[in-house]
Amino acid sequence: MLTRRSALRFGAVTALSPLVSNFAFAADWAAVEAEAYGQEVFFNAWAGSDAINSYIAWAGDEVSKRHRVKLTHVKISDTAEVVKRVRDEVKAGKTNGSVDLVWINGANFKTMKSEKLLFGPFAETLPNFALVDVKGKPTTTQDFTEATGGMESPWGMAQFTFFADGEKVPKPPRSMVELAAFAKANPGRVTYPAPPDFHGVTFLKQALVETTNDASIFARPIDKANFDTASKNWLVFLDEIRPTLWREGRQYPKSQTEITQMVADGELLIGLTFNPNEPANLVAAGILPKTTVAWQYEKGTIGNSHFVAIPANARAKAGAQFVANFLLSPEAQAKKNDLKVWGDPTVLDMAKLKPEEARLFAATAVPGSVSLPGPAILEPDASFVPLIESTWLAHYAEG
Amino acid sequence: MSLILENISLTIAGHALLKPMSLSVDPGEVVTIMGPSGSGKSSLLSFIAGDAPQPLLGQGKVLLDRTDITGLRPEQRCIGRLFQDDLLFPHMTVGENLLFATPRGPRVEREAIMRTALKRAELEGFENRAPHTLSGGQRARVSLMRALLAKPKAMLLDEPFNKLDAALCSTIRDYTFMHLKARQVPTILVTHDRADAPSGGRIFEISLSGELISV
Amino acid sequence: MAKTRLVKGGVAFFVLALFLLPLLASLAFAFQSGFSAEGWAALWRHPQLWPSLWLSLATGVAGTVLALIAALLIVASLFETRFWQNLSVAMGAMLAVPHVALAVALSFLIMPAGLIARIIGLFLQWQTPPQWVTTHDPFGIALTLALVLKETPFIIWVLAGLLSREDVKLNFANQRSAAFGLGHGSGSVWLRIFIPQLFGNLLWPLVIVFVYGATVVDMSLAIGPTQPPTLATIIWADINSEQVAHNARGAAGTIFISFSLITVLGVAWALTKTLKPLWRALLTEGPSTWKVPTMTGQIKHSSFIGIYALLLVLLVVLSLAKSWPFPQLWPETSFHSWGQISHQSGAVVTSLVLAFTASGTALILLVAWFETMPHHFDRPLLWASLALLGLPSLFVGLGQYQMFLYLGLTGTGLGLFLAHLLPVMAYMMIVLAQGYRAYDLRYMVTAGSLNASLLSNLLRIKWPMLKAQIWAAFAVGFAVSVVQYIPAQLVAAGRFSTLPMEVVTLTSGANRSLLAAFSLLLTVPPLLVYGAAALMGRSRWRHT
Repeated sequence: MLTRRSALRFGAVTALSPLVSNFAFAADWAAVEAEAYGQEVFFNAWAGSDAINSYIAWAGDEVSKRHRVKLTHVKISDTAEVVKRVRDEVKAGKTNGSVDLVWINGANFKTMKSEKLLFGPFAETLPNFALVDVKGKPTTTQDFTEATGGMESPWGMAQFTFFADGEKVPKPPRSMVELAAFAKANPGRVTYPAPPDFHGVTFLKQALVETTNDASIFARPIDKANFDTASKNWLVFLDEIRPTLWREGRQYPKSQTEITQMVADGELLIGLTFNPNEPANLVAAGILPKTTVAWQYEKGTIGNSHFVAIPANARAKAGAQFVANFLLSPEAQAKKNDLKVWGDPTVLDMAKLKPEEARLFAATAVPGSVSLPGPAILEPDASFVPLIESTWLAHYAEG
Repeated sequence: MSLILENISLTIAGHALLKPMSLSVDPGEVVTIMGPSGSGKSSLLSFIAGDAPQPLLGQGKVLLDRTDITGLRPEQRCIGRLFQDDLLFPHMTVGENLLFATPRGPRVEREAIMRTALKRAELEGFENRAPHTLSGGQRARVSLMRALLAKPKAMLLDEPFNKLDAALCSTIRDYTFMHLKARQVPTILVTHDRADAPSGGRIFEISLSGELISV
Repeated sequence: MAKTRLVKGGVAFFVLALFLLPLLASLAFAFQSGFSAEGWAALWRHPQLWPSLWLSLATGVAGTVLALIAALLIVASLFETRFWQNLSVAMGAMLAVPHVALAVALSFLIMPAGLIARIIGLFLQWQTPPQWVTTHDPFGIALTLALVLKETPFIIWVLAGLLSREDVKLNFANQRSAAFGLGHGSGSVWLRIFIPQLFGNLLWPLVIVFVYGATVVDMSLAIGPTQPPTLATIIWADINSEQVAHNARGAAGTIFISFSLITVLGVAWALTKTLKPLWRALLTEGPSTWKVPTMTGQIKHSSFIGIYALLLVLLVVLSLAKSWPFPQLWPETSFHSWGQISHQSGAVVTSLVLAFTASGTALILLVAWFETMPHHFDRPLLWASLALLGLPSLFVGLGQYQMFLYLGLTGTGLGLFLAHLLPVMAYMMIVLAQGYRAYDLRYMVTAGSLNASLLSNLLRIKWPMLKAQIWAAFAVGFAVSVVQYIPAQLVAAGRFSTLPMEVVTLTSGANRSLLAAFSLLLTVPPLLVYGAAALMGRSRWRHT
């Protein structure tokens, strides 16, 4: 229901957006391509995964082969660093900025967009954007309910996913209520990261979505008073699950990676991630056992997309657009989708691809890949995040 | 060779430490200057040696052998010094300490000079010993020998016998004066112990008002 | 005279231009962001402010006091024994282990799924890890333990450096003989004679240890309490946030924690003043035959070396561990992590070049400074250094980055060099100042009176006598440079890559195995330099 409503809203947005004639479109793109030739593009991207780094290196080889574009991967541990760097550069009046392309979504995007730190709109002028599944995957133009407005180009898909060793968890809990029952039966073996960790906040959002009767509230901004009313059941749920959590809910791990490590060690039973293919990657890397299973909730889990954007003060804007377009190409998307490479789900619409292109995306199940999928639920409006964080902190701050 | 002080005065932070004074020390003579601590006797030595620390201001001339050396850097003045502590360089052997002071020349000659000095210090065969393995009296003798090897044109002694025990003190004192006299080095000794002064030598005292008075 | 003035002017110019001014400007830029009313209001509203401040201060104080006691016990029982020569080498090796590596290894030792639990589980047939609260405990005990483990070698190292100086050693040996003669036991000698004399030299190192312990982020994240966490980690998250409002709260928090630290130091100072009569009374109580508990000291010393060896071995095993589920005693091994690391040779070279040039430059500048400037000019440099070391590096780093932006130095080699030089020089200033200034100048006067020129005096007398301190300072600077991350990362703007940048980005998502491998890689260069420094600074006389 939530999905349909947002899709409708999305339709209204596209209807209002100016139509660009095909001719002007092609001519503009040819000019961008010509300018991009030989440019060096500094791509600032989170580099915490070997698989992702290798993929970016591959993309760099390809754009260099095709158009002499030199792609340099600036390895980042936290995208907020890039937001701050661009903000400071713009403030200092530096026009030839150090960042040409940044891997981004969510709060970082919202901040950069609202502070006018981004170049664009450019996404919809990329030729390959026409292949994006904007209808079936509404998060490709709605980044945490913030309309992208062409200020960032979709790159991949993410959906909240749980994982465990199938031998220890033969019947995975497929809703928050089932998770609470599981935690009660296995006290001290389930937990979630403390906010403001992104995964922790998503866990709390998921719980809020499942404990609220009126799903329509999530599509609109909310104030404190309305949030307090809407979150009553949520707090009851959190209070109930808390004593059955790891360390009786007095301490929480700080990050999702910490939880993953504890699952691998055997201290926790259930892990969580935003990348549905991360468990499979971890199995392939030998960190999780081959008996690992991954699943989503029956009624759906929160999903979103991740994007690439170009800072307002980028030096190689044309080169950056060329790279963004390449990243949307069926070839690049298929390679990224491949579990042996990265396993990041595509943003493209299979129906819009040529049959031989679509075949590239055929997936085979591997140990750890999602065996019990659920639909993607849109993120609640961004105004929920600070309220979730502060309410949680007020209740569970002192352990 | 004589050491002449002409109209020397010392002030520290605007306060007069020593009123203008003149003094001539003959070759081989040991002049003793006494005074309580803080009276400026050590400062006077520093001024003569040319390394008076920052807040101290001095005026007047220092003449060595009738040459004005007031403008020279400390290491160019050829004035030897001995302190309460022997200050043997701890990272050098006894022999190296002596060689450090021996004027440049052929290695063999310098080593011979060093050995002679050790003999005079009654420390034959000690050249490879570490300073801290020597007794207090032995170190004091090495220290004196080291100072003399540099062929000083004058010597300044800053309570050098102060830390030695009584029995050792008189031996080392006589030993020091003997060698200084033998080399005809003009010497100023500052001390607060009258017994340190060589018998028959001139003795001065710095009064509370900063005047140099013959005792 | 004119030449001297020129030299002095030159030294002052370079020290000011390369160190003090950039440092002060960084602080000014950083603090300017801390004066927002909204930031302060948000800070006061933070429900975890007071408990987390308490945790930060308590772990800082406890870590410092316990490390000091352990260090004094060890030093007192080993001084002038056959272990003494190798003590600073062993401690230098321990210093080279990065804080976070120690925390990771320690945590794997004591955590519920850790090695100790597995060994116990072997006998008790445990299939799942126990539900111990050994790491991330709410009182910060594990964090304090990690701090004590990391800081004790530092304090020992400072003390050993000082006590290995020939003149100090001689003096102390004489004083000890004198005190023995007066009927004092070795414990009494340490308590009444050595410690009071050493305390002045320990003051700044202790301040650093305390400030570091109370503001440490990486260790606290790895092993510290989580709910509430220490204040430093809350501030860290705020400063890291992409939101200006959080940044403002973080900046306000930084100023707040800085003032809290100053308050604690003030209270400590006031306490020492109030307790002075008691202390005096203790000092003059008369002879006591109390001996240094030599056995405990030696056991402690050996257990320190044992724990470090164990932790390093654990790191090696962890770096080779693919998966290591409970209750297995040995992991499934692979060289995957090391394979990944082998791609980082470019970053290794950049880091080494930076470390050598930055610590070399800092050493030259500092020695030139000490040789030309009067003692009391050190004060501003010392205070600035302490400020730099005491504030979260992200906070200072951002200020420095903004300044470099205005100067057009971001993304340049010079900018990167300066970003390393600042912290390197700050640490070296603190390590070197006291020892260098404590040098007995009468040695120089004596050498001068033996007709040695100034240069020969420095080369043959002063610097050889100070070589232990000089080499040690160089090693510290080198180690600081090698692990320099945040300021360098910001200033490099993606144009340069150093070892820690690769480490932090790769470990932001990946596994413990990679973190362990990189920690080891980060340990090796400082380890070699500490080892070399200890050898170079070794006294010529094997025993006394």
